[in-house]
Amino acid sequence: MEEVIIPTSQLIEHCPVCNTAATENDVFCGTCGYPLKGTEQEQKDFMLKRDIAGIDMEHFSKQLKNAANSLYYLAGVFVVSGLIVYLIKKDDPDSFALLLENLILAFVFLALGGFARKKPLACIVSGLCLYVIVILLNAFVNPGTLFYGIIVKIAIIGYMIKGIKSAIEIEKIKKEHHIA
Amino acid sequence: MSEKEILANEKAPCISCGGEIAVSARFCNHCGSRQSVVANSDTGNNWLLLKQAALFYGIDVAACCLASFAGVFKTLGWALFFDIAMAISAVLFFTWNWNENKQLLKWKSFSLLKLAGYAAIAICGSVIVHYSVGWLNLVIFNKDDQYFETLRGNLPAEMFLIFFTAVMPALFEELGYRGYLLQNLLKIADKDQAIYITSFLFAIIHMSFISLFWLIPFALFLGYTRVKENTIWYGIFFHFFFNLTACLFQLF
Repeated sequence: MEEVIIPTSQLIEHCPVCNTAATENDVFCGTCGYPLKGTEQEQKDFMLKRDIAGIDMEHFSKQLKNAANSLYYLAGVFVVSGLIVYLIKKDDPDSFALLLENLILAFVFLALGGFARKKPLACIVSGLCLYVIVILLNAFVNPGTLFYGIIVKIAIIGYMIKGIKSAIEIEKIKKEHHIA
Repeated sequence: MSEKEILANEKAPCISCGGEIAVSARFCNHCGSRQSVVANSDTGNNWLLLKQAALFYGIDVAACCLASFAGVFKTLGWALFFDIAMAISAVLFFTWNWNENKQLLKWKSFSLLKLAGYAAIAICGSVIVHYSVGWLNLVIFNKDDQYFETLRGNLPAEMFLIFFTAVMPALFEELGYRGYLLQNLLKIADKDQAIYITSFLFAIIHMSFISLFWLIPFALFLGYTRVKENTIWYGIFFHFFFNLTACLFQLF
């Protein structure tokens, strides 16, 4: 982030950080809290705090990306497994319905992954709940399925829980530092 | 003058130094202190709220899974037991934060015309869903739901059925989802995200993935109605008329 520090004597029309209109009487920016008439040190400190928040944001954004990727991964898993089961049990009258359910699930996970950037909390919470319900339903039909790829399942759930935590943190940082 | 301009011109005292500042300002332009209370809510508390919401949802998921998929529980008695257990859970979670949630039980904007409007939308929606789902089930799953056949002509049984498919879900699902869960999530996320989450969770708990296409819009409508009207009563009546229409279709 580049540091924009302007001399205090200059007439201030816009906040150099968030570009909100400011009057001559303003000591601080009303939108982001930048010390418009503060000393050089105060202004530097303000920028430093914002930069630190930015670094935190990068870390949390990475975790969000992992969570969004696990949603895409799940979409792929449901398409592939749906097709495999359909091809193996083609003669079963229920096989088409099963394939359709798998495709609907895949579509839902794909959509959630796609919107995860815009509405991270909503998409990841929804994805996690749907995934847990699907695991439970499969376990009711056939308890053995609970242990299929259990490590992958735990990893995916872990990524999503971390994603939810990050989404909450990001919301907080955005509110505190007014980073849009 | 637009609403934004009015807000910019309206003045309020700073919470820290008392100086006059714009109502919309996030920071005081005299002393630099933060004005919004929202930003003070800590993430630890939000995480706790989310875990509480997860507990509520977990109980519902467990009850729904057991009631619909465990062979032992596939009797009418157990079905009633799980329905009542979920109702109690919804009431408990709703009353947990009673002082705040009781606002939702007030019905300040009561209007008979509006209520009739919501009822009409609900009935139309239910008719559309009935025909489209009937068609989908016939086309894809090759089955026709004959569950209600045995009850036809038996008035007490019909009343009983109406109570458990129209009155109970309308009241307790609204209390739990649009009441407790939405109110809880509104503290963590913005309005839209909170409504999306509640709607999605509400839709998938019905355990029918093909029905998601109408359950999600249905729940979104209820969520936005609840936020717009600031009461859960319109939602309860909407939900009631929707389920009642569906129920009557099955019976007659």
